[in-house]
Amino acid sequence: MPRDTGFKSGACERYEALLEDYLSGELSGADARVASEHWQNCAACGDALQNAAASLRLLHAAEPSADPGPGFAHMVMARIRAAEEGDGAAGRANFWQPFVSLGWRFVVSATFAVGLLVSYNAGLGHRLQPTGPQVRPIDSMDLFAPEPAGAPANRSEVLMMVADNSHAKY
Amino acid sequence: MAASATALTLPLQSGERRIDDRELVRLSQNGTEAAFEELVRRHQHRVFALVAGILHRPDDVEDVAQQVFLKAYLGIKRFDQRAAFSTWLYKIAVNECWDYLRKKKVRPLVYEADLSEEQVSRLDGIVSSDRPPESVSARTETREILDRMLSALPEQDRQLLVLKEIEGFSVQELAEILDLNVNTVKVRLFRARGRIMETYRRRLNSAGKGHAASAANRKE
Repeated sequence: MPRDTGFKSGACERYEALLEDYLSGELSGADARVASEHWQNCAACGDALQNAAASLRLLHAAEPSADPGPGFAHMVMARIRAAEEGDGAAGRANFWQPFVSLGWRFVVSATFAVGLLVSYNAGLGHRLQPTGPQVRPIDSMDLFAPEPAGAPANRSEVLMMVADNSHAKY
Repeated sequence: MAASATALTLPLQSGERRIDDRELVRLSQNGTEAAFEELVRRHQHRVFALVAGILHRPDDVEDVAQQVFLKAYLGIKRFDQRAAFSTWLYKIAVNECWDYLRKKKVRPLVYEADLSEEQVSRLDGIVSSDRPPESVSARTETREILDRMLSALPEQDRQLLVLKEIEGFSVQELAEILDLNVNTVKVRLFRARGRIMETYRRRLNSAGKGHAASAANRKE
């Protein structure tokens, strides 16, 4: 958006718009008379008006942009059709998108479940392998070995165990 | 709007009456593709001029102008016709230009503002005579020289001068499409004229000094 550049034309500020109208030939009647009287007596406005008139001669000597030609409208319409077809394809893709997404989720979940099942099966199988009864050959010395001492059941058994240990030392 | 379904031949002249923009807009809003194509044909030149005046980058003008019409097509159903179609379209064009410049992070193309002695003397001939060059090639060449000189001006001054004096937009149109007060446009235009002449005189003086220096060198 154009902003004021702070440049001053040299003309009286309140007459600048009026001078512009005069240049464009849009000033008539009383306005034209008042303005004309002013810049005939005001050197600054007179100079600014001459300057502006010279700029008109300069700028009017330039060729305006050329018409893009009849092909332009066809290109615009082709671009519009392409955009619409693109939108249509995107719309069709959008219609299937939930199903595709659901399908992928299903595939991922199923793969995870199968993986879990296989690993669980492998681990459980290892643990459930038949071990059979553990048979140990009987050593003859085992027959005479004392029964392994169990935990004392009450206070008197504890005292008995202490007494046995004392006898064994002496 | 279904473009392919509505590509019918539009009787653009009904007897003596030429279908006006309002009617074409209404038909476009109802999906008549041919009506929109006619709107493009009618306004393409001015949109092109407007975009060229703002961007000052000839290579990108066509692409941006096409984008303007695409946006207009997509938004035409929301256009309530309270303003003229042209005003609405030109506003889209101006916004598209600002967007383009912002996205590309470029300022309009700046030429090397120095002009050759020959170019300056050509401009001098134009300023001191009341007869502008008549042939298209001479005018096109003058446009190139002027574009170089105008690029030395602040962007807003350049745009206003080009759009008003070269591309032929009125003060009223500029005020509407740039969202400015009419009086503000007039004052800015008047000041911009002063600035371009100041730039021109500077170029003229430096070219004159260069000419004098080269003449002195030749004498020696």
